[in-house]
Amino acid sequence: MNRRDSGVGGVNAAPRWALLCVALAWLSLQGCGLVYDALQYVAPAATDELDAICRLQRVHVGMAVEPFRPFVFPAIWTDEGSRITGLDVELVRHIVDALSQQCGRPVTPVLHLVRFRDLFLQLSEGKLDLFVSAVPSNVPAPAWAGFAYSIPYFQHGGLAGITRRPDVSDRIRQRLQPPSEGVPGAQAGAQVLDGLAVAVQDGTASQHYAAANLKSSRIVRCDSLPAAFESAEAVVDQGIDVILGARPVLEYMVTRVKKEWQLITQADGKPFFLTSAQYAVVMSEGSYRLRWFVNGVIFRLDESGQLERMRARWMDESYAFPRRAAAEGLPFDVEKMVMHYSQGACRADRMR
Amino acid sequence: MNTGTLIATLLASGLLAWGVTDVREARAVERAEAEETARLLAKLMRAGRLVIDQNQTMIDDPHKGDKGFTPDVFEQQLIVEFRKETAIDLRTLAATPSSILIPPLAKELLPAFVLASKEVVREAQVVINQRGIGYKNFIPATYGSQAARRFTGQSHVRLKQTTLKPRNPKNEPDDYEASVLKWLSGRPNAQAYVSELTDKGRTLRVVMPIYYVKDCLKCHGEPKGEQDISGYPKEGAREGDLAGAITVTVPLNVGNR
Repeated sequence: MNRRDSGVGGVNAAPRWALLCVALAWLSLQGCGLVYDALQYVAPAATDELDAICRLQRVHVGMAVEPFRPFVFPAIWTDEGSRITGLDVELVRHIVDALSQQCGRPVTPVLHLVRFRDLFLQLSEGKLDLFVSAVPSNVPAPAWAGFAYSIPYFQHGGLAGITRRPDVSDRIRQRLQPPSEGVPGAQAGAQVLDGLAVAVQDGTASQHYAAANLKSSRIVRCDSLPAAFESAEAVVDQGIDVILGARPVLEYMVTRVKKEWQLITQADGKPFFLTSAQYAVVMSEGSYRLRWFVNGVIFRLDESGQLERMRARWMDESYAFPRRAAAEGLPFDVEKMVMHYSQGACRADRMR
Repeated sequence: MNTGTLIATLLASGLLAWGVTDVREARAVERAEAEETARLLAKLMRAGRLVIDQNQTMIDDPHKGDKGFTPDVFEQQLIVEFRKETAIDLRTLAATPSSILIPPLAKELLPAFVLASKEVVREAQVVINQRGIGYKNFIPATYGSQAARRFTGQSHVRLKQTTLKPRNPKNEPDDYEASVLKWLSGRPNAQAYVSELTDKGRTLRVVMPIYYVKDCLKCHGEPKGEQDISGYPKEGAREGDLAGAITVTVPLNVGNR
């Protein structure tokens, strides 16, 4: 009886063949390692995010579609097509120039203009290599956890408030008077806004601050800063008393665009900050080499005085952004932008 | 000279004269067709600028999101404006027999410019449809720059907007354009255009002047030197002043072969 006719023999034969196959596969895998090493030697494959950027000659950069002037201005049309400009765009230019130098060939930035709250999501989904949009690096919020921040490129980015009502301004200033006795508590800053209607932008540091600290204020959540202005200006009574936001952005707005609004100051006229913050470039936690690289670029810009010149150029100088957009703005990927960007609206915070 | 030689010489001279006349005629026809095509192209571009100007308030409306100013809507308005100006209906252009008024080259290039313009309007949709943003810099000049560049990139004919002191360095006039603009600036506003052969007759240049109208003066009028909304100093222009020109450069073939 040959083996094929024997049921018992047939059953026993299968494991032997399987064992042989496994052994062969194991031996082949050993060989694969050698082949892989040889290929790496001839044409190195990408080993990290910086290598991938160099190989593809593209870096995917996220930016907020909502304007954060003067860091990110609204998208605008120019003689060269659609463009975006601002301090953050200038920083991206420096990073891209340095990347081109590092890679030894030109690297093109692919700008994704998306809603601010979606930037974190897109980075976590791997659609972006980095993003930059006046993002403070020290906001304790669950949505901002799990990301890595570069060294700061902009100081004095804390939260402040603006109002267009003199009575509100006076009331806050009185509350900020030094107490006659005792020492103000840690919540003194937040308490000055008690009883007031405070507008914050969804997903930004102002909203996270309000959620954590403004227990006795009426919070109004807005899709964007322009929406907060529109909502505040449309309703005079029971509207918005104070708009909370990034101080440099608010300062730019009240000195150049919305001159009927004013920054809330202390009794002695000094600026009133609710928090202290520095702006940074946001990357994935695992992008170690890219972070080293971006940190190096920012460090060199700072050391050479370029960061300060950039700050002065965008914060202090008199200019119209369309002209700068035409001269130095960056194109953005139209396909990656929300088709009909709307500044959105404001609504009472029902979560409280 | 014997009779045979005389006949041969006469025959050769006749053939040569006939050939020269033929080339001259062909060259004249080509120039006439190229000139009419260039003139129509410049008018089409001017009509496109006018359409943008007519929709400017809506484009810059910060309270409106989707403006509905799609490439197709733009095309419809462009066709209407061009027909008003030239009595040519672009919708039936392909079926219209070629003539000196609608040369074959125009039948090829006019639709190409419409397509280039529609591409520009399509790309600008994300900018135009932003709600909450007022001025978007999508104005006749920036539309024209992009439409001209895209059209030129896809054809052998060069279309350009230019002026003596351009805001955009890429619109700087060349020597020929500068000389024509200087000549035009000393003359009264007219619908005339300048057409000339340059480059030893190998290139036809057509320059069609553009004059400031009331709407232009918000950015280009008085007070001179004051910054306008887009950040450029105003030129201090008055209604009817020469704003610049649309120039068309057509390479000619006959006689160069």
